[in-house]
Amino acid sequence: MISVSRGKLALTAKIVLLALISAIFLMLAQSAFAQKEYVIGVFLFAVILLTLFTYLTKKSIPLKFFLPGILLLLAFVVSPILYTVTMSGFNYKTGNIVSKDEAVLQIQNRAFEPDSAGTSFDIKIGTFESKPAILVSDIENKRYFLSTFEKRVPLSNGAVTLNEYLVAQSAPGFSPLPTDQLAAADSTYSGKRFIFKDEYFLSLEGLDVAIVARQTLTYLEQQDVFKNIIDGTIYKDNGRGNYQAGLDSAAILEPGWRAPIWFENYSKLVTDARFRDPLIRVFIWTVVFASATVLTTFALGLLLALALNKPLHGRRIYRSILVLPYAMPSVMSILIWGGMFNSEFGAINALLGTDIAWFQNPNFARTAVIVVNLWLGFPYFYLVSSGALQAIPNELLEAAAIDGANPRQIFRKITMPLLLQILSPLLIASFAFNFNNFNLIYLLTGGGPRNSLDGEIAGATDILISYTYQIAFGSSTQDLGLASAISLIIFILVASISLYGIRKSKVLESFV
Amino acid sequence: MNKKSLGFTGVLAGFALAISSFVVPSASAASEIVVWADESRGPNLTKVIAAKGDWVPGYTVKIVTFSSFDALKEAFDKATDATGPDIVVGANDWVPTGAKSGKLAPITLTASVKARFNPTQLFDLTYKKSLYGVPIDVNNVAMIYNEKLVSSAPKTFGEMVSYYKANKASKNLKAGLCVAGGGMSWGAHSVFSALGADAYQFNSRDEIVYNRTFNYPKFSNNIKTYLLDGKKSNGFFPATDTGCKDNFLAGTVPFAVIGNWEWKDYVAKGFAMNLMPVPGVTADAPGKMFGSVSGAMLTTYAAKHGVSAGAKSLMTDFFASTSGQVAYQALEGRPPAEKGAQSSSAVSAGQKGFGAAASTAGIPQIGAFLNNNKGGANYWDSAPAFWTAVLVDNKDVATESKKLANIWRSNTTAGKSDL
Amino acid sequence: MNKWLKQDLWRHIVALTTAIFALFPLYLVIISSFNSTGSLQITSFVPREISWNNYKLLFTSPAIPYLTWMKNSLLVAGSVALISVVIGSASAFAFSRLSFKGRKPGIQLLLLVQMFPAILAISAVYVIMERVQTFAPGIGLGTQGGLVLVYLGGAMGVNIWLLKGFVDSIPKELDEAAKIDGASEVQTFWLIFIPLATPVLAVVTLLSFIGTFNEFILARLFLVDMESRTIAVGLQQFIGGQYSQNWGPFAAGSIIASIPIVIIFLSLQKYIVNGLTAGSVKG
Repeated sequence: MISVSRGKLALTAKIVLLALISAIFLMLAQSAFAQKEYVIGVFLFAVILLTLFTYLTKKSIPLKFFLPGILLLLAFVVSPILYTVTMSGFNYKTGNIVSKDEAVLQIQNRAFEPDSAGTSFDIKIGTFESKPAILVSDIENKRYFLSTFEKRVPLSNGAVTLNEYLVAQSAPGFSPLPTDQLAAADSTYSGKRFIFKDEYFLSLEGLDVAIVARQTLTYLEQQDVFKNIIDGTIYKDNGRGNYQAGLDSAAILEPGWRAPIWFENYSKLVTDARFRDPLIRVFIWTVVFASATVLTTFALGLLLALALNKPLHGRRIYRSILVLPYAMPSVMSILIWGGMFNSEFGAINALLGTDIAWFQNPNFARTAVIVVNLWLGFPYFYLVSSGALQAIPNELLEAAAIDGANPRQIFRKITMPLLLQILSPLLIASFAFNFNNFNLIYLLTGGGPRNSLDGEIAGATDILISYTYQIAFGSSTQDLGLASAISLIIFILVASISLYGIRKSKVLESFV
Repeated sequence: MNKKSLGFTGVLAGFALAISSFVVPSASAASEIVVWADESRGPNLTKVIAAKGDWVPGYTVKIVTFSSFDALKEAFDKATDATGPDIVVGANDWVPTGAKSGKLAPITLTASVKARFNPTQLFDLTYKKSLYGVPIDVNNVAMIYNEKLVSSAPKTFGEMVSYYKANKASKNLKAGLCVAGGGMSWGAHSVFSALGADAYQFNSRDEIVYNRTFNYPKFSNNIKTYLLDGKKSNGFFPATDTGCKDNFLAGTVPFAVIGNWEWKDYVAKGFAMNLMPVPGVTADAPGKMFGSVSGAMLTTYAAKHGVSAGAKSLMTDFFASTSGQVAYQALEGRPPAEKGAQSSSAVSAGQKGFGAAASTAGIPQIGAFLNNNKGGANYWDSAPAFWTAVLVDNKDVATESKKLANIWRSNTTAGKSDL
Repeated sequence: MNKWLKQDLWRHIVALTTAIFALFPLYLVIISSFNSTGSLQITSFVPREISWNNYKLLFTSPAIPYLTWMKNSLLVAGSVALISVVIGSASAFAFSRLSFKGRKPGIQLLLLVQMFPAILAISAVYVIMERVQTFAPGIGLGTQGGLVLVYLGGAMGVNIWLLKGFVDSIPKELDEAAKIDGASEVQTFWLIFIPLATPVLAVVTLLSFIGTFNEFILARLFLVDMESRTIAVGLQQFIGGQYSQNWGPFAAGSIIASIPIVIIFLSLQKYIVNGLTAGSVKG
């Protein structure tokens, strides 16, 4: 202890802080439970217990350092990843998004079939015999009646008061709902069936209008099937997230739900040529792109580092200019480059005196991507190579010179191997980063150009991650299950490359 | 745990409970109808709603504006009933996917509300016989010509090409005809159609014919005659929409296909609204353009939020009403979909000009066919790819035309089940 | 002269050529920002006019709350950078200095988690924050607080990694000496490690700041209100359309947004090199 009074002060501060944190989390947990968000509520409770345990006892000192970081990682990185990976086992795509319960509910709601004449009535919402009721005006036939969930009460024309449009405003025993109570009563009335006649009922289509409809499908809960009341068709759970009639996979009820299909998304990637072939093509380009980027940025960076590795006129100015691409926010630089490659107005065509459609031609688009990434990436390797060059002991180089080696030999035999040893983890990290360089592709080419006429779904500059993003969120039909499966594969690829790199490089071995 | 820390824990728990008891979780206002819109429509809807607070008595309406149409689409795709909107203002091709995925809820309009719209507009928002929204604005394109360059409206496609070839050098033209609005698929359909390629085929009774391709030998001959010079593009029609608007405004392109949402930019630069369909190869067969609507669509979340009836009322009493559309389009400047608003004197000549062009040469935009990709690619991807293949990559036009024809035929045939 | 030619000329050629390559896009943006037509079109590589219209538009147009966007970006990126470095350095200290069961697997796990293509987990993040929104509107979807929380989670792994590299390089003797003097681990961390690490902390803060400043995929989903958007979302929106007339304001906006970052970057340059060699890649 540094001093007793200071210790006491610190302790008090700690207690107050902990109390505050617990209070806030307790409050959050409580409201989470109130909103039926049980998983989050339990998580928040666990956070409180863990916090108190960690900071009030001396059981685990490392945990005192870790806890906030770990909790943030768990909440916003690990749990979304786990969710995504889980989804790769599901038929989770456009048409199969909601849960099964929700799908059943919606199929029932959609099975309201308006009568053939499309009859609709003006209504007024209120209560009758203290039950929800609507006052219905059949203006065409000048008939008025009250309808509740249980019965229909005809009214004589003399009993109702009408407004200028002949819509009934009040009737004996009926108390209309005041305007300020309409919103609160919305769910009491909408989506409900008010009695009309036979199998037909009245359903609200707004606050002052109801239509005549009937239910065409009914859900038989015990058998878990839907039955069409009119023609008797039975729709069974087809095990893939839809109720289906017979063997016709087009005869399904919508919406479907996300249903487990286990490894189908993965097997599709191997067996279905429509998914497999573009994936292989994209994978090859991803590797080419990442390698080309690492090679070009490293080569230019190293060349610069060597050129500026001794006192030189204007070295500081050069240095400040050369790091500018790295300092500029990259979102903006990429968008600026996008404008420069614009085929119509872009500066590149103006400068070269050409008329190249940069983003329409696969090879030009790929070139553009690599050039832009070179611009973005070389300052980084310039900086780290300069640092690494300075770390090579001068004595080593001098000794070699005395032994009669010429500068080229010194560079090849001594400088380069040492540099590579120091920088290899960074080269691997750069490869891994560019393997998943989503922003560049997304903002510059959007993955294009795509030769859709030959049925290609992947673009010429699509890398794995942008291709997957396209499958998951891009087009009008989305397949999150398939995208999740691909993302797990990407993860395994990148992780293996990096782990291999770690094993290979002694530097990182000692680091871990 | 020692005695001391036990004590602290006690104090702490008490303190925490005391604080938490003061804070009652605020339930979200059940009377709020939330509408999502893009960066163009959102601010205008906000103003209109604010100007007349009680479109639906007893409810408040909140407009949420996204930074772009893409961001809106992306958020709507991800939204769930926790925070999803009650009504979303989007494109008509959201209907099939939204309905399939259980994000959009069907509505039934009364006969009097239905009568306010052209049946094809309602059809645009229909999926498997159910309607999912009300049309709020009409989206279409029309061709405009620069009267400072061209004295009168061209009658045939060939006339435009001849003009371009004759004046290319002297007037420093960058192209003859280009697509400024709607992109190389949607906006360019009228050019496809003018040269003989329609996305789907109709018979003489205006019924859709399945299993038939457009006449691709004729189409590829037209491309050779009008757009190519040997194997290469003759420069008349660029393969991308990049720079088209700027070039037209600068007077270096005499003809452009423009969108009806951007006519104000042309008027501002002093152009007369010389709107017409893209002329066809023969004078009586102008290129047909897609007409589509944007709609206010009801979501399934409205029922979850307990504002279903209110939201439906907002749809009919504001979005589908004459007064609502007039007030909104006075700010937004697109042609309104509602008939009363269309004939209103508040609607400008520019807005009306597009309507006229569309009525002479429009075909319904049927998402079931256009979004289908059974042929290997949907219409939206295959159309621009065709222009690139023929006009940029100089591929054989006959081969590419045949590919395109077969893709569109397969899509139409397969899309039948989604009608 | 001959010797100079032999030894230095190639160095100048290499440096000068690359400097031109580095400056070219920046030069173009600057020209465009002073071009009154606001068009992307380059009529001449030498500026013919200096017009402040694009800059004026940024600060006067009610449709472009540029200053608010800028403030939001600084606020979001600033708080993420500061908080994540404090939390991250504590974890890094533990990984580097304390011995405990599961240290090695722990740090490898941390590395692995970073390699998951996070962009694909966006749907899950969105749903989580939607749920949070229902009971804690202040930190849910659509709030900068919620976005900061999500960013913090994402920044954790990289920062711990970066900082651990630096902690490893501080001689152990220092904290051993402190231990002998009777200081606890927590005191060692605050009184010895933090002061020593200040330069590196500054660098990691800056890198984390830039990384957050650049993010737009999550930001455009989260920050819906015009008034709450960040600059990356706002500027991207400028040139979303095909019409190139917004290029001028975009250029002007990018320049102003970049200036503070570039200045900080250049002034911290010396430290950044050290920070980078400890294992970072621009994110």
